[in-house]
Amino acid sequence: MIALLVILIALAACAGWGVSVYNGLVKLRENAKNGWSQIDVQLKRRHDLIPNLVETAKGYMEHESSTLENVIKARQQAIDASKIKDKQVAENFLSSTLRSLFAVSENYPNLKADQQMRQLHEELTSTENKITFARQYYNDEVTRLNTAVQSFPDNFIANMCSFEKRDFFELGDESEKETPKVQF
Amino acid sequence: MPYSFTKIEEDKTKTIGFVFSFLIFVYFAVFWLIAVLSVTFFNIQATSGSYSFHLVFLPFSQTLLILAFAFIIGYVHWSFTTANLITKILGVLKAEKLNPKDRYHQMFSNIVDEVSVATGGRKMEGVVIPTMALNAFALADFSGQAVIGLTEGMLARLTRAQIEAVVGHEAAHIVSGDCLSTTITSSLFELFSGALRGFEILFQGGGRRGVRVHGRGSGAVIGFLLLIYCLLFVTKLLSQIVRLFISRQREYRADAIAVRLTRDPLSLAEALYAISYRWRGGGLPAQELASIFTVNPTYSSIDEEDGLFSEMFSTHPPIGGRLDVLLDMAHSDVELVVKDIERQAQKPRTAVPEVGTSSAKWVVHKDGAWQGPFDMTQMMTLGWIRPDTWVQRLGGKKVQLAYQEEDIRHIVTKSEHGKQSGGYQCPKCNLPLTEVNYEGTEVHKCSSCRGTLVEQSDIQRIIIRQEVGFSEKIKKIARGIQREARLAKFTAINRDPKTLLKCPKCQHSRTRMMRMFYTEAYRVEVDKCFACGLVWFDTDELEVLQYLIEHSLDKSHS
Repeated sequence: MIALLVILIALAACAGWGVSVYNGLVKLRENAKNGWSQIDVQLKRRHDLIPNLVETAKGYMEHESSTLENVIKARQQAIDASKIKDKQVAENFLSSTLRSLFAVSENYPNLKADQQMRQLHEELTSTENKITFARQYYNDEVTRLNTAVQSFPDNFIANMCSFEKRDFFELGDESEKETPKVQF
Repeated sequence: MPYSFTKIEEDKTKTIGFVFSFLIFVYFAVFWLIAVLSVTFFNIQATSGSYSFHLVFLPFSQTLLILAFAFIIGYVHWSFTTANLITKILGVLKAEKLNPKDRYHQMFSNIVDEVSVATGGRKMEGVVIPTMALNAFALADFSGQAVIGLTEGMLARLTRAQIEAVVGHEAAHIVSGDCLSTTITSSLFELFSGALRGFEILFQGGGRRGVRVHGRGSGAVIGFLLLIYCLLFVTKLLSQIVRLFISRQREYRADAIAVRLTRDPLSLAEALYAISYRWRGGGLPAQELASIFTVNPTYSSIDEEDGLFSEMFSTHPPIGGRLDVLLDMAHSDVELVVKDIERQAQKPRTAVPEVGTSSAKWVVHKDGAWQGPFDMTQMMTLGWIRPDTWVQRLGGKKVQLAYQEEDIRHIVTKSEHGKQSGGYQCPKCNLPLTEVNYEGTEVHKCSSCRGTLVEQSDIQRIIIRQEVGFSEKIKKIARGIQREARLAKFTAINRDPKTLLKCPKCQHSRTRMMRMFYTEAYRVEVDKCFACGLVWFDTDELEVLQYLIEHSLDKSHS
């Protein structure tokens, strides 16, 4: 009788533990998903801003049509990409073309002084930052999820309920990995 | 395991429970004391003659009753404090909502959005305090509303990266939950401080008008009032003690989180340094609110000290300590930061933007023939020019539609929308005013007489910001005004009713704009409408005013 009771209690404890681990994993998975959709929203926002930017810049920089075309091409590629890995490559390429566009625009004081250009520049800077922050958030959450899925003994529950590891959203460009503004 | 924002949120500080318990305890102690004292008092009266004084303690059941009573009163106090908390505090601080048309505000609101993304979508809102001081604060309440506030001086003086670091710091306070506890703690005893001030006024007035209480009970009444006064005074002390709950460690923690967020310790260090060596806004908010700011607005030596006492009673850690930690991360040192800040202060100014180019002229196509050439002022008075009228700039090659021509676009778009779009008319020339972006905000300029129309709230912003430089002409006028002021030689204002201007906004009303000096200290003549707050500056007057104020501030700093 007592043995039965002990077994029952042990089973109940096991079930309780299982439920709490499961709920924890679900929360982590949802956080990661939410993080991913945030990145998506910001990337889309950037795609929407680019046509305006190109249109504004066109009027001032007639001799830089190749730079502008590159930006448009990169944008199209980024929109077409569907897999996470492809997306990363395309978005990083888009970032680099945008950077070169802004670098070139330094030579055009009229363009820099343009009200609309200023506003677009601010919007794009903000969107770039949001992408970075969304990526940080996503990667942090993915790390937590991946750690939880693999660590003992939670991995039993994770395997049973088919929780999977997720890919990071990484930087392809080596130059971007440098921490900005650190002086030695 | 990375210290992610969701993790920080899970580790929220639980100070708030302690604060609530403390409040209940205070009420309990006070009521208990009152009960014991009054029972003792009546005891003495009952056995008058025999001055045997001994405290009468209450039985357990009555103590329990007092506890319940204290709980109810404490709870009412608590809900009274926490209801509409943010709105109340923002009112005290005179904070304003962001203006989406203002470039600086746009940037700030973008940064707040960015940081909100970094925290996984925690909702936050930005507000500004229109002051020249440099400081930042964060507020949060139980409903989940969160506000990050910066001063206008901050927006004007710091770079984007620095503002980002500061906003990151404030967001860290919000996410980690210590913002909620500081917000509530700092306003918990505000109620009593107000009552205390009221009492002090009453007692001071007592000498003249007097709380004249006559008769047999007068001594008791005055004694009772004194007792309440003492109790209120005790609560004032309590509000100091409550600060024990506000750990100064939270500032270090928020700095660390901000750096993790922006990966830019140097910018945060620079921002902190800039805040600490300029005016931080001392005397601006009530003293009880000091703890919500990122750097204590009032300089107090206790903040700069280490040791148990300051650890307990100071709400802000020493700036030096915070800088050390940050600069260590950035592999930099204070001297570099100082140089950076100084370089920033000397950043080149841009010239004052001009409306229309007076020399430019256009020919306009009408009824199959070219007419003109017209200059800008004449173009404005042509009633028939439309966005799709063909125009050609004199000396230019292209024939364009009027709306395509950058410089005259405002004329045709204005006359299209008329007055609905806020299109004001110059009070002097009756020509439509042009919206010009000046110092990041929107002003209305007349391209003919070059006067400027500014909203009251924007004047302060324009003065705080330092984008544009001033020509020698402006400096000369300003120096002239200063000289006159020094010699106490005051030119009288011409208030001839015929010359007074009509307000461009309240045109139909019969009132005129008031002609006056901006302030007695800065004797620049302006026309101000007291109905809507619009202010009209004649040519160069706005710039002169800016130069005067900026110059006198520089002097007082050095």
